[in-house]
Amino acid sequence: MHVHERNPKRTLITILLFALVIVVGWLTMKKPRFNYQLTPQQTVDMVIGHKGCFHPFELANALGDKSGKVVLIDIRNSFDYARGHIPGSMNITATNLLEEENVKQLDTWNKNNVKVVFYHDDQLQANGTWMLFRQIGYDNTFVLLGGYNYYASHKNNLNDSQGKTCLKGVPKYDFAEVAKKSGASADVPASTKTKKVKVRRKKKEKAASGGC
Amino acid sequence: MNKNYLFLTILMLLLAVGTFFIPKKQLVKHERSPEKLLMDITQPSRYVTTDQVAKMIIEQDPTLELIDVRPADEYNKFTLPDAVNVPLKDILTPESQDNLGIEDMNAVFFSNDDIMADQAWVISRRMGYKNIYVMKGGLNCWIETIINPVEPPETAPETAFETYHFRKAAGIYFTGGNTVQTGDTGTKKAKVKVRRKKKEKAASGGC
Repeated sequence: MHVHERNPKRTLITILLFALVIVVGWLTMKKPRFNYQLTPQQTVDMVIGHKGCFHPFELANALGDKSGKVVLIDIRNSFDYARGHIPGSMNITATNLLEEENVKQLDTWNKNNVKVVFYHDDQLQANGTWMLFRQIGYDNTFVLLGGYNYYASHKNNLNDSQGKTCLKGVPKYDFAEVAKKSGASADVPASTKTKKVKVRRKKKEKAASGGC
Repeated sequence: MNKNYLFLTILMLLLAVGTFFIPKKQLVKHERSPEKLLMDITQPSRYVTTDQVAKMIIEQDPTLELIDVRPADEYNKFTLPDAVNVPLKDILTPESQDNLGIEDMNAVFFSNDDIMADQAWVISRRMGYKNIYVMKGGLNCWIETIINPVEPPETAPETAFETYHFRKAAGIYFTGGNTVQTGDTGTKKAKVKVRRKKKEKAASGGC
């Protein structure tokens, strides 16, 4: 006598149990709080295109504007914030930005098309935080070029930054020229310093090489 | 034939078809989660100074891998000794990826200053690469500190003078300006030894 004939419900019960396990697993699966909305390639395109930069001259307009379309967030620690900050900015340290209440606040701003500008002492220190928030889908976030240091030293002439695409990232010197000139001996011709880079590439392994 | 088996077969086939509709998982293999990435970003431990880099080059640290993230034309004009060029815009191409994640190597990104290098760092970190660093201040700082160091005022502490003397000597080393070594500078031409990540072989070996 076959098993199924003894208990015809047996298969049904097994299937139901199987389904139950899957449903329970699905429901208890931990969902990640954040997902990347930009692929690495999109991120590269974003930073290459200088998207998401907030210039100091825009800051000059934003400071006078009370419509609440721009929010400044000081991501330094509270000590630095207390010592001096851009008027009207709020202090949320970078490490706390992903806390529940702050995320809720960021979501609201995102929905209402409010520009959120992150700043630190320098552009460099706010760069990573800004890139992260862009990557997880907050396309209303910006990074303040020059950071607080630039603001503090150019408070009264923020408009000077007009017309520049970036305040950092440009070479200050002609590197090759400087390196050549500062050499103690002038008799070394510049041509010996030019680089001929020979790149040795590893030979690609063919698929299914080896074997017996 | 039992009806149950037929039913089960159909169910299995349906489930198999269902797998086609599962959303495609991210292509990045060891992607770092946004929360962890933010933690990494807020740590300043990724920055190395120009002095540290200069010391490593002079001591011929075998674990040092310098990565110039500026565009190729700028790289061709000037770069640091033995640096490889991985322009930021091509950082995701397979050739560029070969330069990252080499076992036991510490990759140091640098650019004109540090913004582009930091951006390259964030993207690489997200993709799960470890042992990557950013040279703080970039080449601008390199020129200011190593090639043309400023002598500290007489009232400066002794350590400032030590740093200054190190930089002065390093500057001579890098500009090849030592007259004793004439003729040697020609042979110093950069010979870049590139160590690439081992490819994961498909079905190699066997037995």
